[in-house]
Amino acid sequence: MTAQTTEKSLNKRVAEVIEENRARVTVLAVLLFLFLAAFAGLEREDWFAVIMQGLSIGAITFLVASGLSLIFGLMDVLNLAHGEIFMLGAYVGWTVYTRFDTALDIVIPLLFLAAPFVVMPVWRKVSGRLPTDPTPRRVASWALLAVGAVVTWMTVTRFPLAIWDSGDFTQSPGNFSTQVGLGILAPLTPDTFQGAAVVAVVGLLIGGSLLAIGISAFQTHVGEIRPVTRRQVGTAATLIVAAIVLSVFKDSLNQWAFDLSTTWRFFLAMAISVGVGVALGAFIEVLLIRPLYDRPIYQLMLTLGVGFILIEVVRDVWGRPEFSMARPALFNGTGEGCPGQGLGGFFSGCSTVQVFGARLRVYNEGFVILVGLIVLVGVTMLLKRTRIGMIIRAGVQDPDMVEVLGINVRRVFTLVFALGCGLAALGGVLAAPSIGLSTGMGALFLLGALIAMAIGGLTSFPGAAAGAVLVGLLQTLIIRFGQVGINIPFLAEPFEPSPTLVPAASIILMVIVLLVLPSGLFGRGER
Amino acid sequence: MSFLELRDINTFIGQFHILEGVNLDVPAGDIVALLGRNGAGKTTTLKTIMGLTPARSGSVVFDGSDITDRRSFDIAAMGIGFVPEHRAIFADLSVEENLRIAEREKGDLEAKEDLIFGLFPDLKRLIRLPGTNLSGGQQQMLAVARALVPDNRLLLIDEPSEGLAPVIIEQMMEAIRQLSSHSTVLLVEQNFIVASRLAQHYVIVEEGTTVQAGAMADLVNDEETIKRYLGAA
Amino acid sequence: MTALARTESGLGVWFRRRRGLLGVIAALVLFPFVISFVVDGAGIAAVLNNDQGNARFLQGLAIEVFILALYAISYDLILGVTGLLSFGHAMFFAVGAYSFGIALKEFELAWPLALLVVLVAALLQAGLFALVLPRVKGITFALVTLGFASVFWIVIQSSDLADYAGAEIGLQGVRPPVWFLDTTNERFAFYLVTIAILFGVYVAYTRIIDSPVGKVLHATRENEDRALMLGYNTFWFKFLALGIASITAALAGSLYAMHQPIVTPSVAGLGFTVTALLIILIGGVGTISGAIIGAAVFRLLQYYLEKWFGGTSDLLIGIAYIAIVLYLPFGIVGTWRARSLRIKAGRDRLLGVFGGGQETPPPAEE
Repeated sequence: MTAQTTEKSLNKRVAEVIEENRARVTVLAVLLFLFLAAFAGLEREDWFAVIMQGLSIGAITFLVASGLSLIFGLMDVLNLAHGEIFMLGAYVGWTVYTRFDTALDIVIPLLFLAAPFVVMPVWRKVSGRLPTDPTPRRVASWALLAVGAVVTWMTVTRFPLAIWDSGDFTQSPGNFSTQVGLGILAPLTPDTFQGAAVVAVVGLLIGGSLLAIGISAFQTHVGEIRPVTRRQVGTAATLIVAAIVLSVFKDSLNQWAFDLSTTWRFFLAMAISVGVGVALGAFIEVLLIRPLYDRPIYQLMLTLGVGFILIEVVRDVWGRPEFSMARPALFNGTGEGCPGQGLGGFFSGCSTVQVFGARLRVYNEGFVILVGLIVLVGVTMLLKRTRIGMIIRAGVQDPDMVEVLGINVRRVFTLVFALGCGLAALGGVLAAPSIGLSTGMGALFLLGALIAMAIGGLTSFPGAAAGAVLVGLLQTLIIRFGQVGINIPFLAEPFEPSPTLVPAASIILMVIVLLVLPSGLFGRGER
Repeated sequence: MSFLELRDINTFIGQFHILEGVNLDVPAGDIVALLGRNGAGKTTTLKTIMGLTPARSGSVVFDGSDITDRRSFDIAAMGIGFVPEHRAIFADLSVEENLRIAEREKGDLEAKEDLIFGLFPDLKRLIRLPGTNLSGGQQQMLAVARALVPDNRLLLIDEPSEGLAPVIIEQMMEAIRQLSSHSTVLLVEQNFIVASRLAQHYVIVEEGTTVQAGAMADLVNDEETIKRYLGAA
Repeated sequence: MTALARTESGLGVWFRRRRGLLGVIAALVLFPFVISFVVDGAGIAAVLNNDQGNARFLQGLAIEVFILALYAISYDLILGVTGLLSFGHAMFFAVGAYSFGIALKEFELAWPLALLVVLVAALLQAGLFALVLPRVKGITFALVTLGFASVFWIVIQSSDLADYAGAEIGLQGVRPPVWFLDTTNERFAFYLVTIAILFGVYVAYTRIIDSPVGKVLHATRENEDRALMLGYNTFWFKFLALGIASITAALAGSLYAMHQPIVTPSVAGLGFTVTALLIILIGGVGTISGAIIGAAVFRLLQYYLEKWFGGTSDLLIGIAYIAIVLYLPFGIVGTWRARSLRIKAGRDRLLGVFGGGQETPPPAEE
């Protein structure tokens, strides 16, 4: 009896699933047909190259879109600063890659500055002593922030930075090294700190503490104040010790880094960029997004503002912010035996490879796609096989219910936000050698990622991957057709879209998909 | 001294004043039924205990410690399990994952396997299926089973019989009766017959205020009160 | 008392009720003369003769504020009042600027005809946005509108349309069609025209919000299902709001095309939508007078920060924006109203309302 009913309902359910997905299947079939039709007009080596280039752009778009969709799925925050975190990842990676000494010099004061923020409960206790009336409290917290900013600024600007002339930020390290190379400028010796090193350390610590108190004072509702944990104190101490160790061994570290091959330095840049992305993500979530979970529209506006600020920070810190980045040695070989032949050619150390008659760049069409695949598999494994992944998948459906099971969902929020930002930063470093660095790169890829995410159904991780590939393929295809022209029936001349029109194609694709399927190709239910 | 004690709870949702002075005592080891009409504030009371809709004033004391201002996960970790209305299982997770996620320590599920699958043998058979594929009754079983995985000393169960077939209701009642030997239960129930057969005590809320409380045995014979506060139930 | 008031003529009551508003307008009209006297040490003639000086410069700045205010008011109508999250509002403005400029420059239409073109274009794009309304909601609507605006932004600066829109450089060389739209030679006249348009639009908007239509728009924002249940076809009301906003923004764009020597494609970008957002956040979401005050604060802040801090001014504006979102969610006007409300009824009711900071339509109290 029971078996029969389950069987019946199972049949019914299968029919329902097909019914539900009819529009979805139709859209996919139409897209597939269009792609096939488009490729039919190209030579074989052409379409292979186009597919690989599309996958490469898709892989980078995916790195941005995956974080975006994870964050949106779990906490309903559309992080519009994601593109700028991608951009910042590229700039940080570039600095580590080409100017390791400068990067190291910046890390040291930042570590000192970050240390006080780790022991937040101490500052909560201190700010608890401030007046509790809203107006004087607000004034007090703003005043603390202002004083903290002034103290920090005065110390940081006196910090010795290699080559980077802190007095004039328009002199970016890149420009500067070019000009020194051409003999236009004399290399600067690092400024020595005006005053004892102790003053710098104390100044930064005081500045950081004042800022932390000021920020914690904004919480007017003082709940239960937890005592500072041993782990927090330990972390703060580690940061300070690390900063001191780094400054003592600065010269030998610099020597070590510049002796590395560019390949290893590139991997180092990737790691540090991801670290910066993760740290920045956690910082943004805890300090800026968290107070606004009950005001979703404001979260959206806030992330817009954060993106705007990040662009300005890059402008102010890196000066004229358009750089190119050399490919690491592993993917930049020329001469004897190059280009490599066949699939094995990807490992020949050449910059290009000849596969199926198409000439591909090993970095763009090999390495980038490989990293994209690794991330796809890695995140999928994380989601499917680990406890934290299970919690994330459950949280996407109902974060409150996860919380009442005894799981601190906010911590998971922070983790996912940080992870998403780390992936975006990774995308930035990966993109830098192939497309170069500019402040507009973030907006460009954010748009692509938003489209990929919308096509994929906003909250679906596999959907974001599929959408990203679709966006990448479409863009390269349109570029290719801009060169050869599209033969539209009943038209005498082939239509040749100009390259400036390329991004419009994927946007139109998104609008059409969203209008036919408001929940995207892989989304579930209406949002 | 009660196991769970609510004193003069006032809760707002947005601008609406939902609970206006709820008082509640749950003695250890018993089943207490929280009764009242639709919209009287029963579900909100449970959510306030769990910290999902924190009280603006009043106090919630659980086993001697004040939990009024604690975060939900903290409250749950003290040993309170919550079975929300409309089941609220995770549709994308398999049955096993739905149970596994409730573990507070590794191995909780293995330790409770016999209890859970003894109460709900169906779940063992469906262990690999995703939550979406379960029927309403099976989802309700899973929701209760999920609250049993960790060592909970108090269970808050919201409308366990809602929308279920009579056969399944019987099974569910038997399960609740059995698990009450492990933990205290606060039960919200629209179906008065179910509530009266399960609970030893009752509390009636009306328009966000506690109006009456006492032993269930007394209420069963008090037709006037039943009619006044619970309608034709 | 009441009997006396009732016997007064309608016109007198109207003037009395709008005392504050009329005062503001009078002050604005007199403002260039005062500056001319006090700062430049010149006379009335200097203003009328369009002489160089602080008076002329500040009129220019004020015109920019008025144009921004018009643009922000229109965004407030769809975001703050109706609750539609559109990320494509810059397109409403840019369509006005480009269509007016191109109609005048390339097709040499008479200015009333060019305005008619702007009107038609504005209605068409409102129709385009409304077309997708029944299909997509919330964040998806935001993405679709962002998509529309991005396509427009890409097309307007593509080389394919360079002959008309001037590609990346922008539209330039639009000559004023009539003397009172000539910001270079008749600045004071143009100043008065923008004041008249802004306050005309302001009065019209407060009236709309006060009217039954405005009530339905509010209801749509708070709870669309309920509004539907009460028997209102919310689609038509939303379409109406989009249409009015589109026309207003296009009008602002047309004035912009007159005032600025070049219309750059950046007025169609997401950044310019963010500008509108920032302005209504500063003023207070959902308050029409807030949009005007916000525009003034924003433009002056932008101008002076740039003057004092140079390149870092944009960074400071960004930080100010974040601070406002976090700590001043109701904006200047909203917070001010909340304060008077708190005395009456307590702030709790307010907190539940989506950032509007008000439930009742704004009284005319400028």
